[in-house]
Amino acid sequence: MEIKISSDESEGAFNEFIEDKLEDLVEQIINDGALENIGNQGSDIIVEVEGITPPQFVYDNEGEGGEGGGGGAGPGSGGGKMKFNLPFQKFMDLVASRLRLPNLTKEGQGSIKELSYEFKTYAPVGVLLDKKRTFKRALKTSVATKTYDPENGNYNFMITRHDKRYKQPEIVEKPKYKAVVFYMGDISYSTYGERLELEKNMVNFIQNWLDYNYGPANVEHRFFVHDSSAYEVTKDDFYNINNEGGTQAAPAFELVSKIAVSEYDPGSTNFYSFYFGDGELFDKDPKEIMDIIENDMRPYFNRIGLVEVIPSNISNLIKNARSKYPNDTIVRLADIKNKTQTVEVIKKLFGGVYAKH
Amino acid sequence: MQNISADPLMQKIWDRTLHHALAMGRTLPEMRFFILDSMEFASLLEKKVYPTSPVNIWEGKNMVTKKHRIESGQESSIYYEVVQTGNPSYAYLNHTNSPMMQASVMAHVVGHCEFSELNVLQDSDYDRTEVIMHLVRKVNLGRYQMGDVNYMNFWNACESVSPLIAPNSQYNIDNTVDFDSRITKPKEKDEKAVKKDAALYSPYSATMTALLKTAEDKYSFEEEIRKKIRSETINRKGYKLKAPCQDILGFLRLFAPMSAGEKAIMDYQYESHKHQDFVIRTQIMNEGWAMYWEKKIMMELFKEKVVDGIIDYAKVFSGVCYPRPYFARNPYHLGYHMWLHIEELLREGKLTLAYQEEKDVEKKENWKGVGSADPIADMTHIVKSCSDYEFLRRYLTPELVHKFHLNRIPKQQASQLGITQEDIIAQDRHYVWIDPNPIKGQMLNFFTHLYRPRLYIIDSDFQDGGLLIYHRNDNRKLKKEWIKPTLKNINLIWKAPVSIITDDTLYQYSASNFKESKIRDSNFNEVLDSIKAGEKPFKNF
Repeated sequence: MEIKISSDESEGAFNEFIEDKLEDLVEQIINDGALENIGNQGSDIIVEVEGITPPQFVYDNEGEGGEGGGGGAGPGSGGGKMKFNLPFQKFMDLVASRLRLPNLTKEGQGSIKELSYEFKTYAPVGVLLDKKRTFKRALKTSVATKTYDPENGNYNFMITRHDKRYKQPEIVEKPKYKAVVFYMGDISYSTYGERLELEKNMVNFIQNWLDYNYGPANVEHRFFVHDSSAYEVTKDDFYNINNEGGTQAAPAFELVSKIAVSEYDPGSTNFYSFYFGDGELFDKDPKEIMDIIENDMRPYFNRIGLVEVIPSNISNLIKNARSKYPNDTIVRLADIKNKTQTVEVIKKLFGGVYAKH
Repeated sequence: MQNISADPLMQKIWDRTLHHALAMGRTLPEMRFFILDSMEFASLLEKKVYPTSPVNIWEGKNMVTKKHRIESGQESSIYYEVVQTGNPSYAYLNHTNSPMMQASVMAHVVGHCEFSELNVLQDSDYDRTEVIMHLVRKVNLGRYQMGDVNYMNFWNACESVSPLIAPNSQYNIDNTVDFDSRITKPKEKDEKAVKKDAALYSPYSATMTALLKTAEDKYSFEEEIRKKIRSETINRKGYKLKAPCQDILGFLRLFAPMSAGEKAIMDYQYESHKHQDFVIRTQIMNEGWAMYWEKKIMMELFKEKVVDGIIDYAKVFSGVCYPRPYFARNPYHLGYHMWLHIEELLREGKLTLAYQEEKDVEKKENWKGVGSADPIADMTHIVKSCSDYEFLRRYLTPELVHKFHLNRIPKQQASQLGITQEDIIAQDRHYVWIDPNPIKGQMLNFFTHLYRPRLYIIDSDFQDGGLLIYHRNDNRKLKKEWIKPTLKNINLIWKAPVSIITDDTLYQYSASNFKESKIRDSNFNEVLDSIKAGEKPFKNF
């Protein structure tokens, strides 16, 4: 379905121009990784378009000379910013097409169906009267029976029972998808500043991307943090909790895998899980995580993403994982060092699997 | 949209207006009137007062803004007069106006149409609107040939150049470009040439020629070289610049390599914009002339009671004809009063040699000369021979500047403009009056630049086929962030590198490369001289 921009501008050519502008904006987001422009989940994107007058050789301080032209002719000099609401859906379409991300494979259509009604047919009986159709038919009848005959002074207008037309509801079934996303974060003291910003942007994009694919109502987002043990937090706390002390990530993976099977029906749910951290793990931690991923998560998760945010030279999570999953469709590995890599990471997490990495 | 004949009252008013205009000896083209509603009006103005226009984004955008402004009451949809002159002329009436207003618009339009017919700039042409309608069809055909994307790009590129049009400049195409396909009047052979021809038949002697070689002959050798270069260039490219060309859109239209569709867009842009130059260059005379005849005809209409509401008319008239300071001059006011003043001078015989040469101040003040036998005919002659510049230069005096309040500035604005007590010669509660003497000069200056940057094509073969544009320096800077996109747009039309020189900077655009470099300072006269001498003005830096 094509979604039109809901500005009041009706001119087709004008809309095309605006769409060009929007693509530029998306381009900018893609190139600079300025994902914060996306805004909050599901809300419309407000786009400001500037300088919608043709570029010309003019003096720098326009308008100083007062009005020169006149006589009605001459191109309008009114410029100024114009604002547009861009529907979230439309925006994500643009982003998706620019990023060339494949659509997610959805599972669990099984027996669960979403029911809705569409009114496409009309019948002489029913509940919702279609006034326009009814009026048209009534007018035809009145003209035919000469009750409405202005030439001879008859202005009566009758709506008979036969003229009435009702809208008929039709039940439409659509498969219902459900998804749950687990975000896991390392909250050791080192997560602040740029690292936090990067994490926020990534989480925000993932949220938007999955909402876009499944529909916002069908996705549940759950946040987990860990230090030496793991617990669930709200989204806001996900960014705010600070804790010092040793880091152990395995409990978080364990918790997620347990919640997935105990709280959701693996047959009809799509599971996603993303881990963000500096990747500085000790002792047996990496091995334990690999075991949990392999045995308890990979079999029924759609995607497991491991992201090292600004890794140091002792980061070893990805190193370990890479030897086990060098090119896996489900387990995706990435590290991000600065903002400009955001898009690259997103492609690694959601893109097709390529031979190189 | 309705033809005027659909409304019997309007048709009657027009018949009477036309009758009086002809009775007053006006020279009129065929005039066609239509009645529009307010949105049709707004749309017409966006289409540059033609009934159709090709698909383009600017018109849509402007229309949307305008519609919003009209609907929210920020802009009035009542226009005084909208006319496309030419033969036939098309004039448009607003359906909300009262019959009195409609009559005044018709009478006003009569003035404009006559002015366009007679004026020295020869604005009037046959079937202007019809030609545009034809071009619109060609553009639409071109759009199918080019595809929407290319079409839009090219259209927008043309929009960038559309203000760079100067058919009435002294540096217009006719005066600045030599090309072989043009039909020009054969020049009369000058004496020197005749003499040289005679020399061909004199006895031949190489020694004698060498001995008798004069400076004149040396000159003729250079002349020969120049002729050779000229004919070679024309043979190769089809044209040669002989002076800087200010009509950039016109130049591109003639010489840029273009597909049929692109050519159609270019033709449309040029044809639909070219009359603006006439409007700007004659606005004061033109509007004044229209007001002058409007009032005369309206008085006749009131006399024979075709329309009523003379008090309302007086209000409207004074609302249009009110004084504004010289930098925001009101052409209706200034023009109208100038014509009245000239008529008075003619009647009193003051536009005569005798009056000018009279030395006795007292005699001059109480001048009793023989007035013109037909002042209207003399005024018509002024229309036939002047544009605004000459009109003001001849007839505007400091006394008139003061009388017409061109030196009057609202107090509040005066302080913003930095006018000090020393500049003020008179003041009251609301206004200050400044010295009228320098004002005429400043008003005349307007006609050298028309508040626009003066740009010229000075080389069409700059660094291998590139177009070089020169910004004539007037101590003002071009808007810098627009230089690149504008060059890019011209590049799309010219299809070869495009450069502009402004101040001491050269901006170059080619194949998506944008370069900026410092060059030596230059002035326009240097450039002019070197082009006239057949040299490239900027060869090496």
